[in-house]
Amino acid sequence: MLNNKNIVIGIAGSGGEGIISAGEILVNAASSEGLFVFMLKSVGAQIRGGESSIRVRVSDLPVQSQGDRIDVLVVLSWKNFLRFKSELQLEEKVIIVSDTDDPMPDEEIPLTESQREFWYKIPFAKLAEEHAGTHQAKNIVMLGAISEIFSLPREALSKSIKKKFKYKTPEIIENNIKAMVAGVEYVKTQVVKNDPLIFEYQHRKPRLVMQGNEAIALGAIYAGLDYYAGYPITPSTEIMEWISRYLPQRDGIAMQMEDELASINAILGASFAGKKAMTATSGPGISLMNEGIGLASMAELPVVIINVQRGGPSTGLPTKTEQADLMQAIWGSHGDSPRVVIAPCDVEDCFDSTVLAFYIAEKYQCPVIVLSDQFIGHRKESVNPESIGGLNSGFRKIYQRDVPSAEELKDYNRYKITENGVSPMTSLGIKGGEYLGSGIEHDEKGSPRGDAANHAKMTEKRWKKFEYIKEEFRFERFYGSKEAKLGIIAWGSTKGAVKEAVLKANAMGMSVEAIIPQIVYPFLIEPFKEFIKNKDRVIIAEMSYAGQFRRYLRGFLRFSQYGVKVIPFTKAGGSPFMVEEILDKIIEEWKEMEAQR
Amino acid sequence: MSEVLRSTDYKSNLKPIWCAGCGDFGVLASIYKAFEELQLQPENTAVCSGIGCSSRLPGYINAYTFNGIHGRVLPFATGVKMASPKSTVIAVGGDGDGFSIGAGHIGHAARKNIDITYIVMDNSIYGLTKGQASPTTPLGVKTKTTYYGNMGMTFNPVRMLIAYKASFVARTFAGNPKHVQEMIVKAIQHPGFSFVEILSPCVTFRGKDQFKIIRDKSTYLNETHDVEDELKAFDIANNEEYYALGVIYKKVRPTYAEIVREHVTKKAKATVNGTPKIDELLEQFQP
Repeated sequence: MLNNKNIVIGIAGSGGEGIISAGEILVNAASSEGLFVFMLKSVGAQIRGGESSIRVRVSDLPVQSQGDRIDVLVVLSWKNFLRFKSELQLEEKVIIVSDTDDPMPDEEIPLTESQREFWYKIPFAKLAEEHAGTHQAKNIVMLGAISEIFSLPREALSKSIKKKFKYKTPEIIENNIKAMVAGVEYVKTQVVKNDPLIFEYQHRKPRLVMQGNEAIALGAIYAGLDYYAGYPITPSTEIMEWISRYLPQRDGIAMQMEDELASINAILGASFAGKKAMTATSGPGISLMNEGIGLASMAELPVVIINVQRGGPSTGLPTKTEQADLMQAIWGSHGDSPRVVIAPCDVEDCFDSTVLAFYIAEKYQCPVIVLSDQFIGHRKESVNPESIGGLNSGFRKIYQRDVPSAEELKDYNRYKITENGVSPMTSLGIKGGEYLGSGIEHDEKGSPRGDAANHAKMTEKRWKKFEYIKEEFRFERFYGSKEAKLGIIAWGSTKGAVKEAVLKANAMGMSVEAIIPQIVYPFLIEPFKEFIKNKDRVIIAEMSYAGQFRRYLRGFLRFSQYGVKVIPFTKAGGSPFMVEEILDKIIEEWKEMEAQR
Repeated sequence: MSEVLRSTDYKSNLKPIWCAGCGDFGVLASIYKAFEELQLQPENTAVCSGIGCSSRLPGYINAYTFNGIHGRVLPFATGVKMASPKSTVIAVGGDGDGFSIGAGHIGHAARKNIDITYIVMDNSIYGLTKGQASPTTPLGVKTKTTYYGNMGMTFNPVRMLIAYKASFVARTFAGNPKHVQEMIVKAIQHPGFSFVEILSPCVTFRGKDQFKIIRDKSTYLNETHDVEDELKAFDIANNEEYYALGVIYKKVRPTYAEIVREHVTKKAKATVNGTPKIDELLEQFQP
């Protein structure tokens, strides 16, 4: 269904054809007009070049997901499109824009009759050669052409092109503008528009464009990060790249370590020395870090660990998304090692969750894991400037570590048992606060002790904090209708598809409600109890084949006691949920419930 | 200025758990003396370790001390030093902690020239787990896990550290506390990564004759040794007939922190009413 306020454009070609640049120019142009934008990249395994595809969703209305089906398919080379045809699902009435001189191999690309109805062939490469002096500018010719066909904001586009090439020579900039104009003019003079799609929108204040990984890096710096140590690993590396450039300028240190074992222990050292410290990693790296995370629990050192989840186990799918590190995040280390797990659900929330992670870590002296994933980490989204470093949220407080009072330093007990489990903490430089921190069980002073009674007492002390964390931070997102009998529970990046599906279902007359937590662990039980109380059925949607989140929830919520039927909705990762998948599930359950009524 | 500190001021209330006759007692006493000689302030001194008999040492020192996990003392100490550049940061441990499970970290702390001192109390055995082979256990020696005799060649830590571009490499012997003190003082004073191998006998699992064996094999380097001559240092390290004791190699070069200072133009952290200001960083995300 074509919707003139919301358009999903797929572009396929090879890496060398400037697909990703074209996408970025388009995204920036739309964001500068205040539009809502969402861009997903898909690349082959090659380090350089090779096939690639992007999907850009541009909308006059807030968008929650990547959009299911492609309204406009732009093909720079059909050969490369073949690799992505399973990822780029086309609308029945898709509009195709391709290069005149790149014939489609009919036998390999079965398009239905209706999918061939609107098909514009434009000589991208030839026009680029003629007007910009190089076929390489064909991506820009293409942008000009589609802006003319679908009435995309052309002024913004030309500004965006200039910005993209601002470090190049004036000649290159000029040639690219010529390339864009050539695309526009060709369509004006040679193409007869026969499709019904004309994009309509309202001009608003510009929005920022960033990746989830960049939002995390920004959030960390906003929260006062002093020390970063890490090891490159897909799909988290952008966090480290960004921080290693900007943190040193802001009086911090960013170090590339020899491995993840070193990374986690280095940030523990920095935290012991009194500084805010963080690392970021993904699947294989987080597996290596688990011993260190346990040490953070035991020595009660504040650290923030970002896990941008990828498909697993083992090397798994490095460039694809999954939500299957949940149980490991919660129970990963040996022993009863308390930690907090926060799950951002979109790019804006990556910023917020990271700031919150530092707040909790520093206040409660414990490790905090932020569970992002490749889907959020690598996509580009337009975000509200007010939400990034602005004043939109109650959580965006910055916590500075408390320093013990002179009274507390008199007979200093680093691990003193207190009401909320948080003890006075000193660090290097504070006279009279010297102590032994350790991974071995210790008493309140910090001295090693092996007796069972002390272990029981200290274990209780470390866990007590979590009751207070639960009280202090209550934040869940609810979507849809409160009276609904059908519910959906999801977490992290699955929010996008769930929210959009719920809103669609409500608009279709089906009453559904969704709940998405921000802090996943410790589990905030009350809002979930409240949520399931009046439900008949609850779908639990997650990108984990084993249904980790469902198993986790069952540990706290007795669904059967409330007469609630649990509907598992799991899939192995690789590609994120589509709105359609969730909506179909809602419809299926809704129909069954109606039939039983 | 604060009052003069004596070696006993660096003693904590904890009693060492080591066996009677352990070489580590001598090392600990020398550390107290070295701290006194340098007049280190406990609040500005960090002593860190991993796991092992000798890794219990930080607990016996009055300073900011940390007893972390097996093999990870160097990254931990790196983090401490980077976060608190003005503090004196010392990493301690044994041969198992350093050359087996933690071996991957030594080269990197050394090549980055992190300004910390790494003291390894090498007893050629796993003592805490009661007598298994370590990377420095001699070839053929029977231990609880090498029933048929140790089948791996013996590690040569000094040679390894020179190869890794450590900017200060010394060897000493727990049976000569004065020399241990001297080496530790020199190592701490050295600007950059300094490594001290202390031959520290385990009388329980390697035998009571260890002190004598090592003493008989020891020779002391004199002033004629050119510490900056890398090839000569390798020669000394390669001679496994004797233990040459003293500063074997030393070359001052910029530390990691100095290189950072040289290359990064710092801007002050900007805040407005205590809230960080990140406007400047947001510019790059403007469409």
